[in-house]
Amino acid sequence: MAPIASSGAPSSKEKKYDRQLRLWGANGQNRLEQAHIALFGATATGCEVMKNLILPGIGRFTVIDDKLVEEADLGVNFFLDQDNLGQPRADRAATLLGELNPDVAGGFRIDSLENILSNTPGLLDPRTTEFTHLLLMSPVPTPLLFRLPTEIPTFFVHSLGFITSLRIHTPTHTIIETHPDSLVDLRLFNPWPELLELALERTSTLDVPESEGGMSDHQHGHVPYVLLLLKYLEDWKQSHEGHLPGSYSEKALFKSMVMDGMRTNVPGGSEENYVEAVRAVMGDLRTAQLFNGTKEVLNDPKCQNITSQTDEFWIIARAVKDFADSNNGLLPLSGAMPDMKAESHGYVALQNIYRAKAHSDAAAVEGIVRGHMNRVQHPKRNQIDRDTIQLFCRHANFLRRLNYRSIADEFSHCNEEHKRAVLTALGDWDAEGSLIHDYIALRAYQEFYTSHGRAPGDTGHESCEDEYREIRRIICQYLKDVGYTEGVPERCEKVAKEIVRAGGGELHVTASIAGGIVAQEMIKIITRQYVPINNTVIFDGIASRTQTFEL
Amino acid sequence: MTIADSPKWKYLNRILSRKGPFADEDYDTEMQKTFLDDSKVLVIGAGGLGCEILKNLALSGFKDIHVIDMDTIDVSNLNRQFLFRASDIGKPKATVAASFVMSRVKGVTITPYYGAIQDKDQDYYMQFKLVICGLDSVEARRWINATLVDMVDNNNPESLKPLIDGGTEGFKGQSRVILPTLTSCYECSLDMLTPQTAVPICTLATIPRQPAHCVEWASMLEWPRVFGDRKLDDDNPEHVQWIYEQALERAQEFNISGVTYSLTQGVIKNIIPAIASTNAIIAASCCNEALKIATGANPYLNNYMMYIGNEGVYTHTFEHEKKDDCPVCGNLATDYTVDPEWTLEEFIERLKEKPEVQIKKPTLVTERRKLYYQGPPQLNEQTRPNLEKKMKDLVDNGEEIAITDPGLPFSLRLNVIFS
Repeated sequence: MAPIASSGAPSSKEKKYDRQLRLWGANGQNRLEQAHIALFGATATGCEVMKNLILPGIGRFTVIDDKLVEEADLGVNFFLDQDNLGQPRADRAATLLGELNPDVAGGFRIDSLENILSNTPGLLDPRTTEFTHLLLMSPVPTPLLFRLPTEIPTFFVHSLGFITSLRIHTPTHTIIETHPDSLVDLRLFNPWPELLELALERTSTLDVPESEGGMSDHQHGHVPYVLLLLKYLEDWKQSHEGHLPGSYSEKALFKSMVMDGMRTNVPGGSEENYVEAVRAVMGDLRTAQLFNGTKEVLNDPKCQNITSQTDEFWIIARAVKDFADSNNGLLPLSGAMPDMKAESHGYVALQNIYRAKAHSDAAAVEGIVRGHMNRVQHPKRNQIDRDTIQLFCRHANFLRRLNYRSIADEFSHCNEEHKRAVLTALGDWDAEGSLIHDYIALRAYQEFYTSHGRAPGDTGHESCEDEYREIRRIICQYLKDVGYTEGVPERCEKVAKEIVRAGGGELHVTASIAGGIVAQEMIKIITRQYVPINNTVIFDGIASRTQTFEL
Repeated sequence: MTIADSPKWKYLNRILSRKGPFADEDYDTEMQKTFLDDSKVLVIGAGGLGCEILKNLALSGFKDIHVIDMDTIDVSNLNRQFLFRASDIGKPKATVAASFVMSRVKGVTITPYYGAIQDKDQDYYMQFKLVICGLDSVEARRWINATLVDMVDNNNPESLKPLIDGGTEGFKGQSRVILPTLTSCYECSLDMLTPQTAVPICTLATIPRQPAHCVEWASMLEWPRVFGDRKLDDDNPEHVQWIYEQALERAQEFNISGVTYSLTQGVIKNIIPAIASTNAIIAASCCNEALKIATGANPYLNNYMMYIGNEGVYTHTFEHEKKDDCPVCGNLATDYTVDPEWTLEEFIERLKEKPEVQIKKPTLVTERRKLYYQGPPQLNEQTRPNLEKKMKDLVDNGEEIAITDPGLPFSLRLNVIFS
């Protein structure tokens, strides 16, 4: 889509998507529009997810399903209808979903995952596939999960009665626009010369009464608090052998030093800019620090060995690391500044200092990026994307990198990290109500389906004691495999009963909740904005709560 | 045909006919199945949440659904209000949503009402088993909440109507179950809303610093200066364009960057970002609770869930506590500290700023005198001089003030405590 115009009335597309563009902007929207989602299984849950992706405007979708519309579908799936009983679900669901948004191209294929993997594997071969993301609805026999391409982001969903889960696998996922609450970085302990100069210049007559040629009350009450703090920090350093107020008690002393500078013989008895300054002491006065997400990115091996194949993200990350290494460990400045009590021109002047520094830091990073790209003869060396570098620098302390365990590893029976994750969750102090039990029960469901070819409880009987005993046996075996020796926890048993109760059937409300949760996570992965889960989230519709595990 | 013997409801019926391990001891699989067949429910709002709620209820076996909405369909609804198409723009939401769901799901009756909830009386609300709200207005929520609390008659268990409420913003949302008079009500939790921090008028008038300051200057100060009493219509593109141009000019004068048409619209309409997926989660959570309340198939939410999807997925599910001094469901007047030197006008201004009060045009009385009346004109004239008087000259320490406001179907009781 066209970039959001900085002036003038919005286009019709901007009007339609206004409420979401305020979240992910043109950047995110462009990425959505390049996505082609393959839905395996036109179940109620699958169609609900697709609805929530088609409405915001993904590029394309393909519904893959080999069943016919049955009466029972009509009580649970909004995107199948009475007029098409006995017709292929894939066709009808694609049509009804397609009506949601004329800008999205929809298609269908009367086929199954198993058949595709065996007979037309090119459809899912990363080198030839048209699909950018795979959305799989349970049940899927476990052996098929092992045959999925690990290069294509995959979302695997269970939706049984009141319980639903989502498992994500994607190649290493990197995020620049994580949308933290604030990008503000004031650098009060590390001011650069221009900032300090402005602070000292604007505060030179701060303590002089107006009658002696100093500031009027109006001027005094409108010195931006950032400049006040920088000035008082300089005073503090002079009386503390060059040290900054680092400890809590020093900060408390520093606070009262600032308060002493406030004029109190003014209307209201206090000055708002001083109040703001004092309020910022505990939070904003600190040495610049790398957050964990950024540390992980900058220490990733991909940053070390740049080649002509290296993705742009990692080259910029390397350049930012180089920048920080030669800049006392300081990252490029974000340039963001909060609103504060000040006169317009004073505020804008200060803002310009921050923006200019952010700009020159980004330019320096761009220079380093160019150097690396030329050195390795990178194919994109003549089309360096300045906007991305600036965006990267602005978010330099909020980056994220997520490495996902493969689904094959999760089901391999011998992955030690997976076992450890399960054991840890079972051993937590509040494990009793933990949804790890729901995971274990769902996993037993998966195994039951794989060996029996049908869901436990999928019978006409009201009592399903035999089926439950079989599920419980599978749970015992799995607990033994992971090394858990304390018998089957009560919650495992109860959730297993609840799953047998559903008999493989969906409830529309759960399908719809899953549709929302899964679509949110897919949007985060597709737009590369916000932070998705890694790697499993479970929703318990009985108590209305979720829990996330890395399994 | 009932739920129990229709092949269409195979999966729902299977759940209802088998007793779950988390369900109440006395869950009766035979009796519960018929509950859905005769549960008449009301949906308030047919927008982002409402569309989802109607679909969810219809596909959860509810047969008799009513929906109220006073809005018409706008182009910016189409990214999430999935029952509407471009050709529906301008039509009433309630009507279009109701007929769409009825045409897709056979056997459900949805009765739309295109209008305000305040048009209906307690007799109307008494006919429903439960009420689900998908609203974006604090005022409407307070109204229905207070109405349902007021309807509770201890001698008639049928008069207690569970209220299920949902709301979203971006990737976040919340759903909750309110049992009027028994559990925390909407009013009890009003202080959880983030207070609207208004920018001081003098900042707008003389020292703007942010692009939003320029937009607010144009809409709050410049529009009335140029157009007098003519009301600014934030849905009128010509009005928005005018505000945008004024704001842009002012921003340029002060070297402020960042005024765009989109920002202008966002500020004057107070736009909250909204997406289909979050609405789906919250609406379905509300309907999940409705299904559990109606059938007893599993225990229902006690009583509040927050969903936060910005960073990973995080839910906080907890019991929000009932407030003894809640002006709606509590039985005590709230203590309120007052400087005896304040004028009545200052007192009213401060009340308006309090997040747990949120009033716009209050009328104030005590047992012994009329403090201030918004209307009728003769009473307003008679009480207007009180605005200048000091609190200590109008009320005694410990005296109760009753406050009414057009937005509230109840009166707020405050105990004045002099500081």
